[in-house]
Amino acid sequence: MLSRVADSLYWMSRYIERTDGILRMLKINYASSQDDISEFSWKSALRIFTYLEEEPINKFSHQSREVLQYMIADKENPNSVINIITRARENGRSVQDHITKELWQCLNDFYHVIRDEQLSGSLDREDPVTVLDALIKQATLYYGTIDVTMARGEGYAFINIGKFIERATQSADILDVKFSDVDYDISAADTTYWKYLLLSISGYELYLKTYRSGFEARNVVEQVVLNRNFPRSVLYSINQLQRYFMRLKSDRHAESYNKIEFMLGRLKSKVNYSTVDTILEQGLHEYLDEVRKELHEIGVALNQNYFAYI
Amino acid sequence: MQGNGLLNNYLVDTNTWDEMYSNDTIRDQYRGVVEFLQQLNIDELSKKEEQAKRLFMSQGITFTVYSSGEGIEKIFPFDIIPRIITAAEWNYIEAGIKQRLKALNLFLKDIYNQQFIVKDGVVPIDMIYSCPHYLREMHQLPVPHDIYVHIAGIDLIRNNDGSFYILEDNLRTPSGVSYMLENREIIKRIFPDMLPRNNVRSVMEYPDILHKNLVSLSPRQTAHPTIVVLTPGIYNSAYFEHTTLARLMGVELVEGRDLLVDNHRVYMKTTTGLQQVDVIYRRVDDDFLDPLVFNPSSTLGVAGIMGAYRKGNVAIVNAVGNGVADDKAIYAYVPDMIKYYLNQDPILKNVPTYQLANAEHREHVFKNITQMVIKKTNESGGYGMLMGHAAEEEEIVQYKEAVMKDPRQFIAQPIISLSSAPCYMNGKLQPRRVDLRPYALCGPAGIEIVPGGLTRVALREGSLVVNSSQGGGSKDTWVLAG
Repeated sequence: MLSRVADSLYWMSRYIERTDGILRMLKINYASSQDDISEFSWKSALRIFTYLEEEPINKFSHQSREVLQYMIADKENPNSVINIITRARENGRSVQDHITKELWQCLNDFYHVIRDEQLSGSLDREDPVTVLDALIKQATLYYGTIDVTMARGEGYAFINIGKFIERATQSADILDVKFSDVDYDISAADTTYWKYLLLSISGYELYLKTYRSGFEARNVVEQVVLNRNFPRSVLYSINQLQRYFMRLKSDRHAESYNKIEFMLGRLKSKVNYSTVDTILEQGLHEYLDEVRKELHEIGVALNQNYFAYI
Repeated sequence: MQGNGLLNNYLVDTNTWDEMYSNDTIRDQYRGVVEFLQQLNIDELSKKEEQAKRLFMSQGITFTVYSSGEGIEKIFPFDIIPRIITAAEWNYIEAGIKQRLKALNLFLKDIYNQQFIVKDGVVPIDMIYSCPHYLREMHQLPVPHDIYVHIAGIDLIRNNDGSFYILEDNLRTPSGVSYMLENREIIKRIFPDMLPRNNVRSVMEYPDILHKNLVSLSPRQTAHPTIVVLTPGIYNSAYFEHTTLARLMGVELVEGRDLLVDNHRVYMKTTTGLQQVDVIYRRVDDDFLDPLVFNPSSTLGVAGIMGAYRKGNVAIVNAVGNGVADDKAIYAYVPDMIKYYLNQDPILKNVPTYQLANAEHREHVFKNITQMVIKKTNESGGYGMLMGHAAEEEEIVQYKEAVMKDPRQFIAQPIISLSSAPCYMNGKLQPRRVDLRPYALCGPAGIEIVPGGLTRVALREGSLVVNSSQGGGSKDTWVLAG
């Protein structure tokens, strides 16, 4: 496979994963903003997903419509959903001969849906959840289309590598920023706060089934970092990342492969053999920061060893 | 004739051949379609037009126009009424194009090698050397199977007595074939059952024939040669076509930056290292192909690729330097070429062509300028043309001055009225002018033409210019079986 093609597939996948994450987060945050606006703030969402300075973040913190408009439809925001989808589609467009026609049409439809001028009007005047649901459905269609149409070859591996690097990073980010809101105070006992965190990453039902003792910060950390059956946990994402990376093994390229395999193995062991206690002992922020740094280094190494074509 | 009143306003220009009507009766080949259309009401037809637009949009069969930093997706205008060609007409066209292409191929081989045709005085030498697309780099460069033109898109028009004329030979990187394929797919969706009912021949084979031909050109004797389509990139207006062809053939679509040349071999950069490339179907013009040989500022091509080509380590499709054979001034000599190389009379006619470098011709043209179209010999896409009957006085004076500066770069032809075909416009069928571009594929086993092509249509009333860059659209083209 061409290096440029692998690069484009990887980024197409990362961008859609990011879109999906942002959309789900927005939906839940919006719902919670309708619940109890005095305790709710958009600050952490804006800190995770935008490049805004503190001042505009403070200004925006209770303006739900403005935040949705900015994060979904604002072309000036480099990380807005419309811009991310445009980039995902540009990447898909340049590798149309490596994705199925169905997948290309799906990306293309996603692009036309988000560019529909009515959308921004609906965000302003109507029920934003309807808009968000329509967009989330497009992302879900994308995942389903990959699953049922894409051949399980090298391209599929790069798509999944991109997806799980992005997801692991995102989950670490969300956890980190949410805990920074409460100054990493593990004893903070606000139930709704943790509930919305879990809802925004579709982990609420699993939490209820796993833990019977109500909402505790320790358990939230455990589920989001260490639960190997939770599809948005850091450990699950790293396991998947390793699984798809191993499919790239080839005799022609052993040196590059071994290098990244080593990095992945080290990261996996680190997370796999952590417990909530050891994480908290090290400090949640420090721990998550290390994980993110290693994920980033793996991304850089992929770039140097697999995508270098310029 | 009535029904939904679709045909009420179909007024054929008296001096024009209409593809559907002859003396107020509908030609046999159109009867099935017209009967079907008359059963529909106008709303249904408009809905089908809408559906066609949506299908083009959602499949990304679009090109992007950039204005004020933002890309806008546009579709090429598509008319839902097919253009129909009878089996007899097709047999004649097919034979004519095969003959012409054979002669043009021999001409290219000759002109880049011994130049017999010049020595025998059939084509004057200054016609060759003054052509900007004649490339000395191609001299004595052996190409596989002596094939220069692997893919040709030869434009045909029909004048008022219905006879076909060759308008242009496109032998460099003719485009539009993906529209031949996609228009057909759209028709399958919006008019279910119409194709089998009318006995329309399939065009699906095109990518398979092209792929088979490309494989046969591989310099390396290997079971699975590496074949690539070279595109200028996603911002090219024909990018959709490049990616369609790559996908339908199952080959890699590459950009210049994906390739490199080492020791006179071309490689592509893959995730597992370099992989040698055997055949390049390039959609990049000669001038941008190799910055070491041609335009040094080009980043679309590959440095050193001409060296690899000369060594025979890579095949390039179409061959480099073909522009000398589809030059509009050389066009006038094609009938002579057919006689010279094949000892046959040309089957398809040329439009009479005046060389403005010839003083006698020039005088005749200037005297009758209102009945002439003057064209630049090395331009295509409908640019740089003067349509004498429609031009302002001042425009003509300016154009004449431009001609006098470098008369070799201009030719003139009498204005030929293109045939008209029905188009669906605002709830009515209206006649609009059309041309026809079949796609011919030339491989070691001979020349093959899939039964169909691109019918381009001038959507403005009375317009004779069908180029997409000048507001033209396209139609599905049906060739009927026997």
